[in-house]
Amino acid sequence: MSSTVAEEIQRELIQTRDLGVTEEGERLIELQIGPTHPGSGHMRIRVWVDGDIIVRCDPDIGFVFRTIEKLSENRIYMKAIPLVERPSLLDTTPMTIGYINALEKLLGLEPPPRAKYLRTILAEITRIASHLYGIGILAIFLGHSTGFMWGFGDREPFIELANQLSGARITYAYVVPGGVRRDMPQGFPDNAEKALRYLENRLEDWYRIFINNPVIERRLREVGVLRKNDAVRLGITGPNLRGSGIDYDVRVAEPYEAYEELNFMIPVAEEGDAYARTIVRFEEIKQSINIIRDALRKMPSGDIIHPQIARMFNPLMKKIYEETRRVKFPGLFASLKPPKGEATARVEAGRGETLFYIVSDGSPKPYRFRWTTPSYRNAILFKYLIPGHRLADLPAIYGSLDYFPPEADR
Amino acid sequence: MPEPILALLKELLGYNEFLYRTIIGIGYMIIYPGLLLVVVVAALLLWAERKIAALVQLRYGPLWISRRIGGALQGFADLIRFSFQEVIIPRRSDLVPFLLSPGLALLFSLLPLAFIPIAPALRPPIYSDLALLIAIAIISLSPIFIVLMGWASDNKFAFIGSLREALLVVSYEIPLIISLLSMGVIYGSLDFYKIVERQNMLPGMILNPFAFIASFIAILRITSRFPFEISEAETEVVAGPYTEYSGLMFGLSMGLAYIKLYMYSLIVSLVFLGGWLPIQGNGSVAGFLIPSLVVLLKLSIVSLVAVFLRAIYGRYRLDQAIRVGWIYIFTISIASLIWSIALVYGGWVRWS
Repeated sequence: MSSTVAEEIQRELIQTRDLGVTEEGERLIELQIGPTHPGSGHMRIRVWVDGDIIVRCDPDIGFVFRTIEKLSENRIYMKAIPLVERPSLLDTTPMTIGYINALEKLLGLEPPPRAKYLRTILAEITRIASHLYGIGILAIFLGHSTGFMWGFGDREPFIELANQLSGARITYAYVVPGGVRRDMPQGFPDNAEKALRYLENRLEDWYRIFINNPVIERRLREVGVLRKNDAVRLGITGPNLRGSGIDYDVRVAEPYEAYEELNFMIPVAEEGDAYARTIVRFEEIKQSINIIRDALRKMPSGDIIHPQIARMFNPLMKKIYEETRRVKFPGLFASLKPPKGEATARVEAGRGETLFYIVSDGSPKPYRFRWTTPSYRNAILFKYLIPGHRLADLPAIYGSLDYFPPEADR
Repeated sequence: MPEPILALLKELLGYNEFLYRTIIGIGYMIIYPGLLLVVVVAALLLWAERKIAALVQLRYGPLWISRRIGGALQGFADLIRFSFQEVIIPRRSDLVPFLLSPGLALLFSLLPLAFIPIAPALRPPIYSDLALLIAIAIISLSPIFIVLMGWASDNKFAFIGSLREALLVVSYEIPLIISLLSMGVIYGSLDFYKIVERQNMLPGMILNPFAFIASFIAILRITSRFPFEISEAETEVVAGPYTEYSGLMFGLSMGLAYIKLYMYSLIVSLVFLGGWLPIQGNGSVAGFLIPSLVVLLKLSIVSLVAVFLRAIYGRYRLDQAIRVGWIYIFTISIASLIWSIALVYGGWVRWS
């Protein structure tokens, strides 16, 4: 491409003004899909349709902008842990892992191996739950109510599993600097195995009713094709990137936590259409099952919190930690002052790569807190994938991108 | 003819053929098998649809209203709620068509009942030997009012929805009419009594399976069942032609599909499933009550299959559905016509 981005935007602005009235008269209709539309989510999608064909699509994001970055800059480091979970409620642990990894880099802490494995397990549990949620939303966008209900229903064993591990169903705040909050309870591996086996059986039903369903297949195949070079040029991440045939996953490219020691594959599909993206999500669920099994098998014993932090426990905390393996925060955490410097951390969340960048000036609050979420990076696809398709393809493409507006807006 | 009613009327009013026919006719249209039964069946069908889908989807479905009978009164509760909700009329709507079209659509989807018999012993209010043709002709008027709803609403989504409805109805009603009339060719009559009578040996769906398949799929589309629930696709056009409607009129327009489903299932069960056969008799019980219940049973099986598809399929895209309509369903309906003509001219079916 020869023209700069600014020129492109300028040209498109002019184009927007010209749309609506063309030489043939009022040929195009502008539709405002959202923010109060059953098929929009927390965003507005402005589309211009010529008959049934969308000629232009303009995603208007920011309806659920919650100033997470600025809020984090006005709070102590500990208080940002639950805060970064809020935007993407289905996919909480990868976000906290990303934030904590950046913070640990600033502090120079390395969590003990057992804590790393526990973090990995919880991250994969949330990945399964997040993918099931995304597939459920895709299903209801295509009018397939069974897929919607199953997607939400099959999340339940995994939410329950996360509940056993962390004590909360959705927002776990499980990862703390230097380790995790709680150790695995007794019987957790058995319960996890039960849930994994349940999902494996259910995936066969899923394939029968959703993936191999002729109507769903016709709705998704050849729709919203994202070519390889476009995916790279637009900076797409996550399953959407891998659905376009690019084998890139942060878990492999830049391993964090325990991923280096675990056996798993990165599913890739070549077609780049909505169907391929959906298949990639299903295959990732299967791989997450493998990861959880492998991690439970290889789980090392030992501490769940860095000894440097354990040393600061008062006697009561020490007693609680030894008896119940639960970490209470020492008083130092309230005024945690990382040394001056900056740190970045990348994590593969359910929807793609998320990046944290923290600048510390030595005070108890971050000087700058920057966070890029996968949905934010994938939002551009609305503009490029949808034009040329029919109006009914808009929900299909939207659902197949697994775009989550609160996560994009932060 | 139910004799007790006849006797009572004779006693009260003397023998007055015209008055008696009028009263029976009004009862036929308003109570059984008319409006009242249609509303009851539609409400139960709505409940059954949600309950069956819930069964597939691992949840309860309607439950808390009348818990002991599994929430069966949910449809009636919804009806009451719709009746008492505020009706909001958009300022820019075209008032007269906006207010009239739901009622007219309802009227034209109920009127065919005046020509359709439900039992051997009671003639419908208007008897005609072209009843099948007339019934289809009348019921195919109701989509016009759905298109009118979208037009009068002055809402882009309603407008798109009504255009979708118009496109789809055109591409599915033609195969439906062809395949139903090809049954008329086989039976050599468009009179429902003769049609039912001539299925004595074999039901119509075996005589001409092409016609049965084509008309069942076309009915799925015309009554907005999945996978053809396109004109009111929620995630695309909100509620399609009904977007601007509220209160009772919204209830009416949502119930319209079920009322049409009732009517088309009735026609299908008479034309393809042998109607009230194997029951044949006289008198108010053997000639009216039991046969009509048999018809109701067949009708509910047809419509339950139609509503069950919600749990299996998503919805087609508009162009895909139109392509399916013209390429497959239209071809099957033409095949059914050729099949019928071949059967008749080949001499395999012969009616005395």
